[in-house]
Amino acid sequence: MDTGRITYFENIPAEPKMNMILARLGYHKNTTIINSEHQKTLEKSIRLGLGLAKLKGAYGYFNIIEKTNNYITLKNQQTFHSEKLSGLLEHSDAVVLMASTAGKAIVERISEETKNGNAAVALILDSVASQKADAGLDWLMEFINKLLKKEGKTLTRHRFSPGYGDLPLSNQKIIFDLLDLNKLDMELTEKYILVPEKSVLAIAGIERIESYE
Amino acid sequence: MNRQEFQDYLRKKIMILDGATGTELQKLGMPNNVCPQQWVLEHPESIIKIQRNYIQAGSNAVYTCTFGGNRLKLDEYGLGNQVIEINRKLALLSREAVGHEHFVVGDLAPTGQFAAPLGTLSFEELVDIYKEQVKGLLSGGVDFFVIETMMDIQEARAALLAVKESCDLPVCVSMTFNEDGRTLTGTDPVTALITLQSLGADAVGCNCSTGPEAMLEVLYSMSKYASVPLLAKPNAGLPKLIDNKTIYNMDAETFGKYIPSFIDLGVCLIGGCCGTSPEYIAQISKQTTGKKPIPPVNRKISAVTSSRKTVFIGSGNPLTIVGERINPTGKKKLQESLKNNDMDEIFDLALEQIDNGAEILDVNVGMPGIDEKETMLQVVETLIGSAAAPLCLDSSSPEVIEAALRIYPGRALINSISAESKKLHKLLPVAAKYGAMFILLPLNDEGIPETANERIKVIHEVYSKAQDYGFSKEDFVVDGLVMTVSSDQKAASETLRTIDWCSDEFGCNTIIGLSNISFGLPERSWINTAFLAMAISRGLTMAIANPSVDLLMNIKMACDVLTGRDKYGRRYIEHFSQSDFLHKNESNNNLPVKPVTEQIYDAVVKGNKDGMIPLIKSAMEQNIQPGKIVDTLLIPAITKVGDLYEQKKYYLPQLILSAEAMKTAFEYLEPYLRKANADSNDQKVKIVLATVKGDVHDIGKNIVSLMLKNYGFDVYDLGKDVSAETIVNTAKEVGARIIGLSALMTTTMVEMKNVIALAKEKGLDCKFMIGGAVVTERYCQEIGADGYAEDAHQAVKLAKKLSV
Repeated sequence: MDTGRITYFENIPAEPKMNMILARLGYHKNTTIINSEHQKTLEKSIRLGLGLAKLKGAYGYFNIIEKTNNYITLKNQQTFHSEKLSGLLEHSDAVVLMASTAGKAIVERISEETKNGNAAVALILDSVASQKADAGLDWLMEFINKLLKKEGKTLTRHRFSPGYGDLPLSNQKIIFDLLDLNKLDMELTEKYILVPEKSVLAIAGIERIESYE
Repeated sequence: MNRQEFQDYLRKKIMILDGATGTELQKLGMPNNVCPQQWVLEHPESIIKIQRNYIQAGSNAVYTCTFGGNRLKLDEYGLGNQVIEINRKLALLSREAVGHEHFVVGDLAPTGQFAAPLGTLSFEELVDIYKEQVKGLLSGGVDFFVIETMMDIQEARAALLAVKESCDLPVCVSMTFNEDGRTLTGTDPVTALITLQSLGADAVGCNCSTGPEAMLEVLYSMSKYASVPLLAKPNAGLPKLIDNKTIYNMDAETFGKYIPSFIDLGVCLIGGCCGTSPEYIAQISKQTTGKKPIPPVNRKISAVTSSRKTVFIGSGNPLTIVGERINPTGKKKLQESLKNNDMDEIFDLALEQIDNGAEILDVNVGMPGIDEKETMLQVVETLIGSAAAPLCLDSSSPEVIEAALRIYPGRALINSISAESKKLHKLLPVAAKYGAMFILLPLNDEGIPETANERIKVIHEVYSKAQDYGFSKEDFVVDGLVMTVSSDQKAASETLRTIDWCSDEFGCNTIIGLSNISFGLPERSWINTAFLAMAISRGLTMAIANPSVDLLMNIKMACDVLTGRDKYGRRYIEHFSQSDFLHKNESNNNLPVKPVTEQIYDAVVKGNKDGMIPLIKSAMEQNIQPGKIVDTLLIPAITKVGDLYEQKKYYLPQLILSAEAMKTAFEYLEPYLRKANADSNDQKVKIVLATVKGDVHDIGKNIVSLMLKNYGFDVYDLGKDVSAETIVNTAKEVGARIIGLSALMTTTMVEMKNVIALAKEKGLDCKFMIGGAVVTERYCQEIGADGYAEDAHQAVKLAKKLSV
C-alpha cells in the first residue's frame, strides 16, 4: 500500500454544500429572513467565491509500522501521538494523508474586500473558501474509497485533522512534509499554520471490507 | 468477437458478467498490502478458481484481473515497467480459466490520476497509459474490453480512444455514480451516456456506485436516450458499519430480486460488483433464465454535452442560445488577454453569458499574433474546468477543431462544416471519430449561394457525404446563412426560406448567426430581435447571439411561449417573476415617501450603505443635529439589528451590512460630531485590537473592529501577526482601556497569555477581552483575561461591560 507516490490534483471539482456555507454565516432555516437585495448579494458573493476558490489537493498512502493505544508510527518513523487517532485506526494497517487548499486568489480577495469596506462580502467569501477546502477533503475521500473498494478495502468513516481532539496542530508538519505540499504552492509557518489559510490536512485509515456471511 | 457479432449476441441473449474479484481473492488468502495483479500471478490457481466458480454460477464472461494493471497503478508497487507482460499473463490466465466457450473481457480501470485541468497529466499521456495496457491485453487474447468504475468522463474518454485507436474489438464503458446521481467529477448519467455512445462505445452502463435499487434509477435515465446496449454491475447493497467492521449486507436472494427490473430497462450485460460472489451470479442466472434482451430505444436525439450538462436541441425544446461573446473580433480587452494567456476575461465572459441565458458557448480565438491551436486548447481547458455549458468549437482551421475535439470531455458542436472541399473531407471523419455534432454551413468552393434553392442543393450534398460517416439528420444543425440586410434587403427572406425548408420539408435543426443581419445599421438590437422572432416563427431552433441583450432574450422567451416550446409558459413565468421588472415596477409605485429620519433608520436596519450619505445630508439640511442623528436614529437602528441577530432573524452578513451602513454614516458625521463635542468632556473608550503573533487569520477581528467603531469606541486595529511588545506599547501610548486579542489556532492562542503577562509586567492598567475559533471561556479564565466573546455582537456587549 505504501507506494511513496503522492498524487496531486490541480483543480478538484468539488462543490461545497450550500447549507454548510449558510450555516457558517449564522443562517437558521425557517428563522432567518433575507430580503431580495441581501439575497442577491449573497448569491453573487457565493458565485464569486466559487469561481475564485481554485481547489487543489494531494494524497498519499503510508503503511503503519507500529500502533499502540496512544500513538501510531508510519513506515518512515513519523509518529502521531493521539489516543483518539489510534482508536480511529484500530482496524487499519495503512493510512492515507490528504491535503486540500482553496488557493491564494480567494484569500487575497477576502482581504481586498475587507479593506474596501465590504466586510459582508468578505465574510461570505470566507465561508465559501472554508467549505470549499473541506469539500476538497470529502471529494478526495470519496475518490480514494472508490479505488480501494475494488480491492476489498475502504477508508475509515471519519478523518482526523491536526488541531482537533488530542492531536496537536504541530502534526501538520508531518503531513505537510510527507505530501510535499510546497508543490501545491502551500506553506507552513513556524506556528504550524497553513498558508494560504483556507487549507486543510487530514488522516484517514485504510481497512478491509468484510465479506457478507 | 467483432463489433457486429457483439451486437448480434446482445440482440439474442443477455450476457451475464462476473462478480467481485478483490473480496474473493482476500478469501483465498491475499494479504492487504500487496499488489493484487502480482499476487495473482504468484498464485495463478486463485484467479482460475474464482473465475471458474463464476462460470459455474452462470457467467458468460469474466473480467481479467487487471483493475490495477495500468502503468500508474503498477508503479505504486514498482512494477510500472512490466505493464504489457503482466496484462498479457493475466489475460492468458483468464482464458485458461474459462476456455474459448466463454468470453474474456480486458478490464481497464481508473489510473488514480486525472488529466488536466483536474489533474497533472496531459490527455495524451492518459491515452498512452491505457494504450500500453490495451496492448498487453490484446496479446493475451481478450474478446472485448470493458472500461469500468470510471469516476471521470475525461478518463473514460481517454481509455475509450486508447482501445479504439488500438483495435476493432467491442468496448463497453461503465461509469460509477455517487448517491447524488453524478460521477465524482460531476457528470450525470444521461450526459455520460450521450458522450460515450457518440464517441463509439458499444455498450454503456454503471458499476459499483450503489446497491441495485439506486442503480436502477441511473439506468432508467440512461435507457431513454440509449442507442447502445446497457451494462450494469451493482454492489451487494451499500456498505454498512456493523460491529466496527464495514460489510456489504445485501444477501444474494434479495440482490436477485432486482434483476428482472434491470432487464426490463434494456440492460443486456449484467453482473455484480463489490460484495458480490458466485452466489449472487447464480441469482442473476436464475432470474434471467428464459428472458430475452430488450434492444435500446435508439431514439434519434440532437444533443450536445459538456462534462456536467446535456443540452437538447430542437424537438419542441426552447430556442437554444449559443453565446457569441468569446470571440476576439472587435474586442480589444479579450485580444489583449488572449495574447497574454490571461484566462480571467474568458472566465468572466463565460459566466456572464451563462448567467444571462446562454446554454452553449461559442469559442472562437482566431486573431493575428497568436498560435490559434495552442490558445484554443488553453481556452477549452479553462472553460471545461469552470463552466458547465457545452462548447461550440468555432474555427476556420480543421486542425484547431480536431485538437480541441480531442481534449473536449463531452459531445461538442463544431462551427462549422461546409461543402468547401478542404473542410468537408477533413472535418467529416474528425467529427465522426469524436462523435461531435456540427453546424452545416451551406456554402461551397464557389462561395455563398444567394438563394435558398442554391443553399438547399449544398445541404443535400453535405448530408449525402455525412451519411457515409454514419451521421443522421439529428447530428447536424443547418446554418441559415444570415447576410447583411443593409446591403441586400432580400437577404433576410432567403435565410427565412432556408429555415422554412429545413424545418418543414427536410426535417433538421437550424441555427443563425444573428448579429450579421443588422451590420451597418443604427440601433441594431431592434433589427436583430425582429429577425430572431421571424426566424423562430419559421422553426429556427438555435441562435448564436449575445445573451446580455435583454430585449433579445425577453423576446426569445416570449416566442418560446407562443410557439409552444415553453410548456405551460413555465420558464417565462419563472424568469419574469424573478427579474428586476417587478422591482422596477415596485419602485415606480406611488407610495408616500417616508420622512428622512425613518429612511436613515431603515437604511441601517436594511444594510443600505449606498443610499446613506444623501439621507444624512438631507437630514442635516432639515436642521437635525448630527448628535441627534447618532443618538436617536443610528444607535437605535443598530441595536435593533443586534436584536434581530440575537433572535436569529438576521444572519452574520446582514449584521455586517448594517454595520457598514452605519460606518458610512459615522464617517460622514465625524467632523461635525468632533466640532460639536470640542467643548464637552466626553471621551471615547479606546480599544487596541490585534490578531496575535504567528496568526494570520483576521476576518473575525476585522468584524469586531467594525462593530466596536459603530458603538462609539475608539478602535486602534493593529492588524494580524502582531507581537506582544507592539500591542502593549500601543496600548500604553494611546491610553487604551481595553485590549482585544484574537487567535484562530491552538498554536497561536498561547500568545495571548504572553501579551497579558507583558502588560502586567509593564504595569499597564487595562482590561483584556479575547476571541477566536479555539478560544473558550475556560481558557479566558486560565490566562487571566477579563472576558471572552463568541462573536462580534457579543464582543460589543463585552466591551461595553468592561468599559464601565
